[in-house]
Amino acid sequence: MGVSVTTRALGEALRARLGPDGATDDPAARAAAAVDGGQPSWVARPRSVEDAARVLALAHDEGLAVLPRGSGSALALGAPPERADIVLDLGRLDTVLEYSPDDLTVTVQAGVTGGALAATLAARRQTLPVDPPGWSRRTLGGIAATAASGPLRLRYGAVRDLLLGVRFIQADGVTTWGGAKVVKSVTGYDVPKLLVGSLGTLGVIVEMTLRLHPLPEAAATVLLLMPSAQAAQDTVGRIVDSTLQPNRLEWLDAGALAACGLPSSPAALAISIGSVEAAVRAQQAVIVATGTAAGARAEIVGPAFWRTYDRALAETGTTVLRVGTLTSRLAATLDAIRAALGTEASFAITAGAPLGVLRVAIDGGEPVRLRQAIERLRGFVGEDEGSVVIERAPLALRTSVDPWGSVPTGALELMRTLKREFDPARTLNPGRFVGGI
Amino acid sequence: MPLTAAFVDELRGIVGADALILTTEGRMTYECDMHTFYKGAPDAVVLPARAEQVQAVVQLCRRERVPIVPRGSGTGLIGGAMAAQGGVMVSMTRMAAVLDVDLPNRCATVQPGLINLWLTHAVAERGWFFAPDPSSQMVSSIGGNVSTNAGGPHCLKYGITTNHVLGLQLVTGAGDLVWLGGKVAERPGYDLTGAAVGSEGTFGLVTAITVRLTHTPEAVKTALAAFRSMVDASEAVSAIIAAGMIPAALEMLDEAIIKAINAGTGAGYPEGAGAVLLVELDGPRGEVETQAERVAAICRERGAISVSVARDDAERALLWKGRKEAAGAVGRLTSAYLLQDAVVPRSKLPQIMRELVAIGERHRLLIANVFHAGDGNLHPLICYDDRSADELARAKQANEELLHACIALGGSVTGEHGIGADKCQSLPLQFAEADLNFMYRLRGAFDPDRLMNPGKLLPTHPACGEGFKPERPVLPAGTWV
Repeated sequence: MGVSVTTRALGEALRARLGPDGATDDPAARAAAAVDGGQPSWVARPRSVEDAARVLALAHDEGLAVLPRGSGSALALGAPPERADIVLDLGRLDTVLEYSPDDLTVTVQAGVTGGALAATLAARRQTLPVDPPGWSRRTLGGIAATAASGPLRLRYGAVRDLLLGVRFIQADGVTTWGGAKVVKSVTGYDVPKLLVGSLGTLGVIVEMTLRLHPLPEAAATVLLLMPSAQAAQDTVGRIVDSTLQPNRLEWLDAGALAACGLPSSPAALAISIGSVEAAVRAQQAVIVATGTAAGARAEIVGPAFWRTYDRALAETGTTVLRVGTLTSRLAATLDAIRAALGTEASFAITAGAPLGVLRVAIDGGEPVRLRQAIERLRGFVGEDEGSVVIERAPLALRTSVDPWGSVPTGALELMRTLKREFDPARTLNPGRFVGGI
Repeated sequence: MPLTAAFVDELRGIVGADALILTTEGRMTYECDMHTFYKGAPDAVVLPARAEQVQAVVQLCRRERVPIVPRGSGTGLIGGAMAAQGGVMVSMTRMAAVLDVDLPNRCATVQPGLINLWLTHAVAERGWFFAPDPSSQMVSSIGGNVSTNAGGPHCLKYGITTNHVLGLQLVTGAGDLVWLGGKVAERPGYDLTGAAVGSEGTFGLVTAITVRLTHTPEAVKTALAAFRSMVDASEAVSAIIAAGMIPAALEMLDEAIIKAINAGTGAGYPEGAGAVLLVELDGPRGEVETQAERVAAICRERGAISVSVARDDAERALLWKGRKEAAGAVGRLTSAYLLQDAVVPRSKLPQIMRELVAIGERHRLLIANVFHAGDGNLHPLICYDDRSADELARAKQANEELLHACIALGGSVTGEHGIGADKCQSLPLQFAEADLNFMYRLRGAFDPDRLMNPGKLLPTHPACGEGFKPERPVLPAGTWV
């Protein structure tokens, strides 16, 4: 589609709508908002949903590409955009709209950060248990759009399980609502689930109603330093097949232990429990006993452990891979990762063990060698329909290998049909998602 | 629209003569689900044994523009599994196998016709269960549960069906056989599994399902508290949640239901109680025991006239006995009733209970209540005499007013039963034109010819299926061109 509007006229339109500081073509601001080297002509920072909708309507009608942005922490996820005309920065949509502690629900604008919401909820001892690496500085809209998850997914589910309702703007600027504001509703299609993880390619999330949980009144974390990966695998199996209810069960390899400044070991399991005091003590004892029976050295660590862990994960790795596999194949997958990466780079591997979600943080490495490693790894986990997604990496790597990997043909065809239906002009994040969507 | 002989021959060729029902008596058995207001016999019923047969049936029907209606056990409450426009009904009762149980990876793959409780039976000895537990779980199929995104008493803690579905094999309305999702939870692309669960057969026919299994908890404790009024009991519900507890189940029964149950098999609920609250806690033993004491204390503080905590499984079964018999006990109250499934924010329970009483009085109707209080999911039973057209009209009016009252309080049209034919005209209460338009188009991506379960889930538009026209933002014309 041709661009029928001059840059200058576009700027006038955006400024007329958003105010002088709501849209800028200042070179420094444009450079700062560049995605994979592609500098937008304009950076729009709407203060309201209505203004955000007008930016999209305008862009759509003029055939411009819009790249939505939250905190900017996940911009290296996906392929480089085909076009970049307007970066739509949602950071100013940062209001907690409605908090109903008695209903355990909250409605927020998409630009509210995890940390800001946590501060609001803490007063009532409630929590939104969504904790991907760096969660406190990330926007909730960004976390939802990227389906990012962290250790607490084990007990509370991922964003998909906690998002009750969503307001989003379609590619042509139509503001749309899906879902409900109550904790239980099956009215109409489950549109919120379609939006989660769609990377803004079907619509731009501007408002979310989320399910909350009470903060456990007591908690403990056990670190089991395992003698071998196999011992860790067996211990995960025993805990999964038991009445224990940990809220986190993370696997750390030697590299991850080092990144967290912890004692060296071939593998470790970090397990946290949240409940009432009596139950925490009882479960902690069982976990320690289970670990030591498998030859582990057990340490009781404080809640600070998880802050260290979060920071280490957020900061480690110039290249980060998110690997989906089967829980029963964790040790084998770790072996495969080590074999694929060899001595090419230093790396740290962590895993949400019972979920089969691994995170590989790699520092350095030649793009050519990393590409080969990713292809080998895809071959390995692909035997069980697993996946390897590049969560972040230098541009050179993401242009030489599909950052998403392959999606089964039938499902991909449906995804393309959805994209054609909802964004035929390819206004939203063109080219960044799976299969060139 | 009667089917042609050639069409029927092709259908027979796909599924075999013993899997094809054409007789009037045979077809009439399939004319409705548990919501008997909505009747429509299919022109033919097929009982396929394999996904490939399902796909061939869909492709044939698509070629000939014949509507397709899926059916599990037919225990739905929304007029979903009936052939409003005739066509071919695909019954999944012969596809009822457990295909794979994989406990180390906490999942199982089953065929859609498998009865919900049978999956739990298949894994219970090894310490596992399938968490979604609709009251119909002894007879309803997992495919049906997926179709309506069914809930149940224990979804307060465990979530509804969608939270336990990892993947689906689907024959789309376009006739393609595809796998969405699967055993590995983490995968790139749109969450098509999430979008398809609860689509009530309008995206296609589910032919296999991979579900998450849950480990049996260490301990379970059930308490029963009797209150003078529904408002008192509703306030106790809020207080329990405010104290930081999420019980596995939090069920409420009102005076009319209590009397009906006591008059029957006699669960022995306290006489004179205006409401009974059934609270179930499960999890680690220490947590369950501490929380059971706290729940009992909260109920007493909120004016409970009696609180009893089951000491063993036998006592626990007795406390649940009445709740499980509630639906049957209603037969002692009335010859017929309308069942509502609307939701209000939990904190609005006392308010909606007062409105509900007022609505009943205004229309001179008994409204009995047995519902999932913990998540604000009401199940008022609006009782009427089915020999009186006037009472039926008043019941329908009361039903409508109740629905509006729930929406006005920020609620939802349906919490767990679904939309079907019953509530599709109510969707505009909750959704604007833009929202409905999005749903129409979403459905079209899976079912381009709109032959899958037509007339269900989405409202018909005045412009006869043209779809809703959303409003775009008003752009001040001419400012930039």
